[in-house]
Amino acid sequence: MSEQFGVKVEEIFNTMPERFRPEAAQGVDACFGYDITGRGKWKLTVRDGAMKIERTDDLSGCVAVTKADPDTFVGVNIGKVDGMQAFTTGKLSVDGDLSALGKTTKMFKRYVPPKKELSIREYVLDMFGTLEKRFQPKEAQGLDLVVAYDIGGPEGGQWTATIRNGACKVTEGLAAQPTLKLSLKAKDWVELMLGKVDALTLLSTGRAKFEGDLQVAMKLGQIFAKYTPPGEEAKEEQELLVLKKVISVDHRFATGPVMGRFLNGLKEKKILANRCPKCQRLQIPPREVCAECRVRATEFVEVGPKGNVRMLEYVYYASPDPLTGKTRETPYGVAYILLDGCKGHEVFSHYIRPDQLDRIELGWNEKKGSIVRPVWAEERTGSVHDILYFELDE
Amino acid sequence: MGRRVAICAVAQIRNEPDIWYKRFQGMLLECLEPILEKTGVTFDMDKGIRNIVTCSDDVFDARTISDNGMTDVVGAHYRGEEKIAQDGLNGLGYAMACILSGHDDVVLFMGHCKESQSESKRTCTNLAYDPFFLRPLGLDFLNVNALQARAYMAKSGVTDAHLADIVVRSRKNAARNPFARPNPMVSREEVMASPFLADPIRELHAWPVTDWAVGMLLCCEERAREFTDRPVWITGFGNCMDRYFVGDRDLASNFSLKQAAARAYAMAGIRDPKKEIDVFEFNDACAHQLPMIAEGVGLAEEGQGGKWLEAGGPDRYNVNLSGGMLNGNPIMLGGVARAVEAYLQLRGEAGERQVKGARRALAHGTTGGAGQHQTVLILEN
Amino acid sequence: MVHRKKNRNVAVIGVGQTKHSSHREDVNQPEMVYEAVREALDDAGLTMNDIDCIVHGNMELFEMIHQPDLWHELGTGAFGKSSFRLSTGGTTGATLFCAADNLVASGMYDVVMAIGFEKLQEGNTTAGITNMADPLWHRHLQTGALTSTCAYDVIQEFGLDRAKRASMMYRIIMDKHACLNPKAHRQFGLEFDQLEYLMESSAKLIGELRIIHMCSQSDGACAVILASEEKAKRLSNKPVWVRDHITVHREESFNIMAYDKRYPLLTTHRAAAQELFKRNGISNPLEYFDVFEMYDPSSWWGLDWIREFFLLEGDEHLKLVENKEIMLDGKMPINPSGGVIATNPIGATALIRPAEAALQIRGDAGAHQVPKPVRHALASGFGGTMWTVLIMLEKELNW
Repeated sequence: MSEQFGVKVEEIFNTMPERFRPEAAQGVDACFGYDITGRGKWKLTVRDGAMKIERTDDLSGCVAVTKADPDTFVGVNIGKVDGMQAFTTGKLSVDGDLSALGKTTKMFKRYVPPKKELSIREYVLDMFGTLEKRFQPKEAQGLDLVVAYDIGGPEGGQWTATIRNGACKVTEGLAAQPTLKLSLKAKDWVELMLGKVDALTLLSTGRAKFEGDLQVAMKLGQIFAKYTPPGEEAKEEQELLVLKKVISVDHRFATGPVMGRFLNGLKEKKILANRCPKCQRLQIPPREVCAECRVRATEFVEVGPKGNVRMLEYVYYASPDPLTGKTRETPYGVAYILLDGCKGHEVFSHYIRPDQLDRIELGWNEKKGSIVRPVWAEERTGSVHDILYFELDE
Repeated sequence: MGRRVAICAVAQIRNEPDIWYKRFQGMLLECLEPILEKTGVTFDMDKGIRNIVTCSDDVFDARTISDNGMTDVVGAHYRGEEKIAQDGLNGLGYAMACILSGHDDVVLFMGHCKESQSESKRTCTNLAYDPFFLRPLGLDFLNVNALQARAYMAKSGVTDAHLADIVVRSRKNAARNPFARPNPMVSREEVMASPFLADPIRELHAWPVTDWAVGMLLCCEERAREFTDRPVWITGFGNCMDRYFVGDRDLASNFSLKQAAARAYAMAGIRDPKKEIDVFEFNDACAHQLPMIAEGVGLAEEGQGGKWLEAGGPDRYNVNLSGGMLNGNPIMLGGVARAVEAYLQLRGEAGERQVKGARRALAHGTTGGAGQHQTVLILEN
Repeated sequence: MVHRKKNRNVAVIGVGQTKHSSHREDVNQPEMVYEAVREALDDAGLTMNDIDCIVHGNMELFEMIHQPDLWHELGTGAFGKSSFRLSTGGTTGATLFCAADNLVASGMYDVVMAIGFEKLQEGNTTAGITNMADPLWHRHLQTGALTSTCAYDVIQEFGLDRAKRASMMYRIIMDKHACLNPKAHRQFGLEFDQLEYLMESSAKLIGELRIIHMCSQSDGACAVILASEEKAKRLSNKPVWVRDHITVHREESFNIMAYDKRYPLLTTHRAAAQELFKRNGISNPLEYFDVFEMYDPSSWWGLDWIREFFLLEGDEHLKLVENKEIMLDGKMPINPSGGVIATNPIGATALIRPAEAALQIRGDAGAHQVPKPVRHALASGFGGTMWTVLIMLEKELNW
């Protein structure tokens, strides 16, 4: 069972301590479980800005458990697999508090697999193998030269690059009469190409020799693009800058006479609807007009307080409330309630008492759903929150 | 072009500093009901309104899809509704296109805006600038107007004293307009002593926080007389966008206004606005813009704004008899307020402000700091 | 009104889109818009000099930019041009298309470019949509565009198993289409044999609405160029004619959730379809149209609305999906582009629908081209409190 990406699952967990960013763990006090199929279970404990990772079978007490197969888990961690995609298609699943788990994403620097070093011989072969590809015709316009490379030692070899008419051909062996000839040991050549040592140092210390035109020799660095070891992207991309900002603008919302009357009613534990003079339908909360008849709806009617639940939105997904900026606690339930006195689609929506979510039965056609009643706040201010939620009428 | 669209009815509430006692829905309903009553128009799918053009702004309303809150009161239930999200004067041009295209016969236009709802209209307009460069520099529509004011005043010889006179005149005119924001009269000295908001713009040089709503009924020429005996015709429309970066613009050049005006004049067949237009309504968010817009539409010579003011240009050409945006209209609807005044003048319903025998009017609107986007509408009776 | 003949005909002569993705951190907003504009101009063989007017739109509270068209002139090319900005929530893109059509048909402009865009990663999508709710009573309750009401409805009518299978079948088909569309954002590579696994394993968002059913949140832009008949015939050898369009909105409230068939409800989708088809003399839309680019924000809604848009009854729509007739080579190909579930840069999404429909009529959709000749196309937009915009495109000026 070898991992696709050449990285072992264990490495992800073993390197957590060194990748940990304590500043992102402030205020977090929880355990997170990881269940990697066929591999094992790990438990991450975060407390007081510090962390502990241990391999264990006991994931009890974990606020969220992430489950995935080894390849998906490693892939997501090294950025080769899109986390959202894995989650959506069920390849990665989370049991528990998703938003709490979300906090862990910032706690660890991304796992970067250690660079695999090639041997000197492998580097030499790769460097000459990519020489033609790295040739930049624009830099070689009007040039006509033959460059011989004599790379010494058992790991070395001999190559010739012929540059003519804006093209470059690389062959093995040394040309008889090159324009330029470079001689140096393989190890020095590799270090030069990897940028670990500069040409001047090699020349000055006699570790490298050249025969031919120095000016031409200086141009080689432009004629051929910089060498990058295999597996490493050329670091030409600019760093992408991202500006993060929270925008907040205070507003004072008017309630107007119609909504205002409804809200005042709540203060007195009354739920008010208004009735259309033409079609008689009730609107709750009341609105200025009946949109169907396009006339003002001026008659107010008290409805409820009890009603039956027609539909319940069982919300698992935590999202921010734009009025407060705070992320809502889940799960929560929003019910569409047909209050007594209302008929058809004259439903009102509000929360259901959180611990009763699973006991609510929904209505359908003539079948009534659970009967519920409002629970009022002690202190009422004329706000929709004067009703805390609806609960089962038991 | 020769094709025109009628405005059959207009209804508005009064411009006010703070309509805390009504929601937008209530404000708009007060504009719709008189229109329905005056014209007898219905929402019948075959003979009545089946498309509504609205105007509002999500940032100022603090409501995503700000038109969604208005659907009921504008009668858009099972009808079409399209929101113009720039100065509402563009909405009139767009409504005109809906009618001339044949897609609709009758279009209802309804706009609302409450500048009083947010903590600061400048905080809101600061959000029009890009998050990386101009926004962190603190640019908003007002201080960009100030940059323009400085450039323009230097170019056209307009002074602090001129600006004061413009403000004084605006208040006097507005006092004769029952729907204008009720503002106290001010003296020249008071204006010149008013504190700077952004030099050279003083507090009294800038339009004050205002809430307003308005409605209009537009109709194709063939059916206009079903709804009114005296339609007012829209005969010309033009708009134009200028560059975004403030530094890329010559703020005093009236670049986009000249294009917008030229397009509107071409459509209306106007060659000499001075001779052919009787009433001018300029959307002067800040006092210096009054003479500047006059230059832009060809009423004053290029760079001669100061001289034009001294020669009594504004009174001579019946400019901003309503009080202008300067007296107080909300952003988003300034241009519409100008069209409303033009309409009333052409119907002979402008009361104490009436220009006798007015036959043609120009209404002007702006969107963005220093009027990056400009709109011109030509109306005739 | 008696349906009037259009003042003059209008055609789509150019289409451009960005490659939609979840994080376009390599471009800012005007730069992203420019990519779509550039592609549309190249597609039409035009330069900005040929464009008279720009119509721009998005839902600005996602990115919190006031009047974004002012900043975007850097990428839209609106400098010196006439320009309008419209915004109608999720239907914005379709409204832009309709507005551009109206503007050209009116005679006021000859060539108009409609541009829709959104950079959803620059804000919080669900919070942005929740912001549409009335702040005084609904905003603390609404969870963006997420709702399990449609799933509940379909499940009640057809039974849990059949309903879940049908909506997942719809989802997989949409993904197969998306995998053929190089511009699409999400391409999972789903297979039909994963249907049962996905039905149970994908995480629940609300009730039976699972994350796999729900549309993506994308960054992207779309530009469409429309021209008058005379100019279109001169400038393009494949003009796609805009026959008609209709916009139907609904009142401010979501009060359609009482689940009582004794009180039948007319959806705006059905109302729009009925009116549009009636006034164009189309009695059998399923036979008439060759392709439908539908705005499907979730696979539950997508499934349900097939019945509404084609004026079907009973379980005809479920059968179309179960028998895979909505695939590219089926009786009624739906969303060959992969639809909104695959790609959703909200301000552009409803514009991408007629744009993709136009590509189908032209035969230019590449790998996701419907193999039969496409002469009549339908495109829809959705948003707000269940609003609909419906657009008809034609290959020939034959009506």
